[in-house]
Amino acid sequence: MSNTKEGAEASPIEAKTQPDEAYYSLDPADLYYVGVNVPCQNACPALTNVPAYIRCLFEGRNERSYDINRIANLFPGVLGRICSRPCETKCRHGEPELGKPVGICHIKRSAADFRDPGPPAVTALGPSVGKSVCVIGAGPAGLAAAYDLRLAGFEVTILEALPEPGGMLRYGIPEFRLPRHILAGEIQWVVDHGVALRTGVRVGRDVTLDELLNTFDAVLVAAGCYVSKPLDVPGEKLPGVYTGLRFVMDIATGAAPVLGKNVLVIGAGFTAFDCARLALRCGATNVSLCLRATEHDLRVTEEEVFETKREGVKILGLMASNRMIGANRLEAVEFLRTKPLELLPNGKRRVAPIPGSEFTVPCDAAIVAIGQGAEPLRSPGDTDPRGVLRVDAQTFRSSIPRLYAAGDYATGPTTVIEAIASGRKAAQRIAEDLGCNQTKQWAVKIQASPITDRQRSWDYIPRMEMPTLMPVQARLTSPQAEVEQGLSVDASLEESKRCYLCYLHYEIDISRCIYCRYCLDVAPRDCIKLVKSIVLNEAGAVVGYEETKIWRDVNAVVIDNSRCIRCGECVRVCPVDCISVSKVELVQRTLPCGRN
Amino acid sequence: MARERCVIIGNGPAANAAAAALRQETSDLDIMLIGEESFPHYRPHLLPAYVAGSLQKEDLFVTPASFYEECDIRIRLGQRVTHVKFDQRELVLSHKEIVPFDALIIACGGMQRIPERLQIFEELMLTLKTPADAQKWRAGLQTAETILILGGDLTSLSFAKALVSTGKRVQFILQEQSFWPLPLTPTLADEVKQRLTRSGVEVLEASRVHRLTQLSQDVIEVETDVGLMTANLVGAFYGLAPNVKFLVRSGLDVERGVLVDENLRTRFDLVYAAGDCAQIYHPALRDYWVSIGYKNALEQGKVAAQNLAGGMTTVAASPANIFCVEGVMVNTSWWMEF
Repeated sequence: MSNTKEGAEASPIEAKTQPDEAYYSLDPADLYYVGVNVPCQNACPALTNVPAYIRCLFEGRNERSYDINRIANLFPGVLGRICSRPCETKCRHGEPELGKPVGICHIKRSAADFRDPGPPAVTALGPSVGKSVCVIGAGPAGLAAAYDLRLAGFEVTILEALPEPGGMLRYGIPEFRLPRHILAGEIQWVVDHGVALRTGVRVGRDVTLDELLNTFDAVLVAAGCYVSKPLDVPGEKLPGVYTGLRFVMDIATGAAPVLGKNVLVIGAGFTAFDCARLALRCGATNVSLCLRATEHDLRVTEEEVFETKREGVKILGLMASNRMIGANRLEAVEFLRTKPLELLPNGKRRVAPIPGSEFTVPCDAAIVAIGQGAEPLRSPGDTDPRGVLRVDAQTFRSSIPRLYAAGDYATGPTTVIEAIASGRKAAQRIAEDLGCNQTKQWAVKIQASPITDRQRSWDYIPRMEMPTLMPVQARLTSPQAEVEQGLSVDASLEESKRCYLCYLHYEIDISRCIYCRYCLDVAPRDCIKLVKSIVLNEAGAVVGYEETKIWRDVNAVVIDNSRCIRCGECVRVCPVDCISVSKVELVQRTLPCGRN
Repeated sequence: MARERCVIIGNGPAANAAAAALRQETSDLDIMLIGEESFPHYRPHLLPAYVAGSLQKEDLFVTPASFYEECDIRIRLGQRVTHVKFDQRELVLSHKEIVPFDALIIACGGMQRIPERLQIFEELMLTLKTPADAQKWRAGLQTAETILILGGDLTSLSFAKALVSTGKRVQFILQEQSFWPLPLTPTLADEVKQRLTRSGVEVLEASRVHRLTQLSQDVIEVETDVGLMTANLVGAFYGLAPNVKFLVRSGLDVERGVLVDENLRTRFDLVYAAGDCAQIYHPALRDYWVSIGYKNALEQGKVAAQNLAGGMTTVAASPANIFCVEGVMVNTSWWMEF
């Protein structure tokens, strides 16, 4: 680690609350280190401090565990149920020989489940800036931006077109995955900070963007993506063909369509899965999900796929819809077989329909859930051909001064956690542009840590399975009942033990090392290396090691923290105590403007 | 220079047919079979008779050990391939050994399929895919009086009959969605029901199993859509699924099985798949299909080996025996011989 101490002095507030040895580093080498070595936090678009909240839950500090989440992602109870979990795909426990990733998302939910009931305390607001911002859309991005702007001292008004706040969380995610009281509670907490929420106001119909720009100091468009993408195949307009979003929204508003018994769902994302499961809950008995690629290319979580199949949905691969068939109403869908091609950089599989391989599947209804786009908004600025406002990806600014856009509206459909992160970044940009009194800064907090109490046996604890509502029939008879029941206290504790706590940094003090190599003998994998030299990047961060097997060439014994599973065996066995443990965390600090 | 090596994953009919055919084609190739089970090559369709006691264990086995010695084929049993690195041309075994290869034939067969909604009760059900499964049945049958068969794949039909012949009470819950590899049309369902009933099997009215509960060491309670019942042993017979999970992120195209063309070629040079684990796109059928059964596997193993050795043989598609099952065409020519 670099030893820069800047930042410790920079923050008198932090100095008071952290009287221990902690200091804050802005050194690019340290920022690089946490990026590589705490993969879960780095994978989270909102940079949630995952090891810290898992550790708090393990220590029984549920309230604190919830708070660490809330500080980063605002809605732990919601995300603990429906997050797409980019953290888990990067979890070191999931590396090939190490088992399955830690159930990070389940632990997040446990933190929300086990904390004291009642809303958490309202966060203290920053000094008033005397300026006002209008946020269009009360979805995850809009709510996150409103919350941050309010904390930064702005007057914030959210305009929501639909009758209830929550956006896709409320209208796009079925109740069996996200109970409405959980969502309402966490949204209310944001509103309780003094955010003015006006629902049922559609910009463009009830008020124009120009009027808003005249009334407010800035306007942030976070209106989401509510226009379903068409398949562009003949027959798509036949009665019996539904769009995924329309179908999900109709059910959310209590107007479930009559589907019939045999339903085909076309699509491969979370919405497609939700549609298939909702179709069963609407009385369909034979529901098939039709994928262009294969089940293995899905980016929906494995648990979601399993539960969907368990409810009776069939997943059919390698078929691309070609046309919808029916005289007055949909009777069948014609597909072409596909051949899988290479994997694209965005993780999607390219496929090629095979000419001449047409086949038809009879059905009573088809639900097309292949994605959404943003709704055009009559806007004075630079727009794309469809009429959607264009903004800069980094600054969130449009071509019109004081008009910004964030979340799915700006980027196209993403995940809830990405939308939250986008809203927060946009808020920071707006606050800086409008001249606020404080700013936010990411820094690496470094403090000495006692040796971990993790035991090697904890590495072999199997991943705890999420208990679900059983038998399956119970889900269909009460369609709103939440399927995932939440881990028990004991199971959460077991799951939290599985976390390696990658924010712990292990280091050998070469000046005291006697090269006895005991640590190498107890190392669980190739985490301790005999090296000739260390490869640094321009910033001075360790990016590699030149290993050697020739003893006379060994210049150091080093712990490769990107391979280390923080088992602590090396520290315990070292005869001269030359291995130190420190806690290295990426944290966000609020600083008065002009200080960093 | 070391001999070029062809690794064959599997030790079933496709794998053994491939090994034998490959040796016929070439004498200087290092041929290595890697089988996950510790049993030598056996005939799975004889397992019901073995469980019923009408066959001895020795009768199951096909190829004597001397065959491999004579043909200079190395055989490794009880070793599981956990992943394959195609760019480095090596595969990794569960004990972390790395085995390099120049050519590869994937013939790892299928594994017992249990529907997702019954998977939490997996420990309360027996399957019948391997001699090890058969041993469990034989042990359980020593005291069991009532046996309940769930599902209705082809093995289950001969197995139910074999059990009746031992004097046991055999009950059957035929599950429409689970009959495999054939789709169970009402006509076919009636026929199967009649045939089972004639052989002394009680076909129950229930069509769905909700829950299994262990009441005591040898009594299992089964909750169905028509009520509660008990049995001493419960068997799950929902057919086989290609055993290809270990290949999913290897770069190979995998759907239900390993996707291959009509010459059994995969996306990678000198890598073929054959038997129950291969999902073949056949231009004549204009669709993908999976073939099930001993005879098909033997043929495909041979085709893969011949093509690997430079041939261009196409696997035969016999449309009359091909049925659509869960969106995948399945060749069941063996069903007719059964």
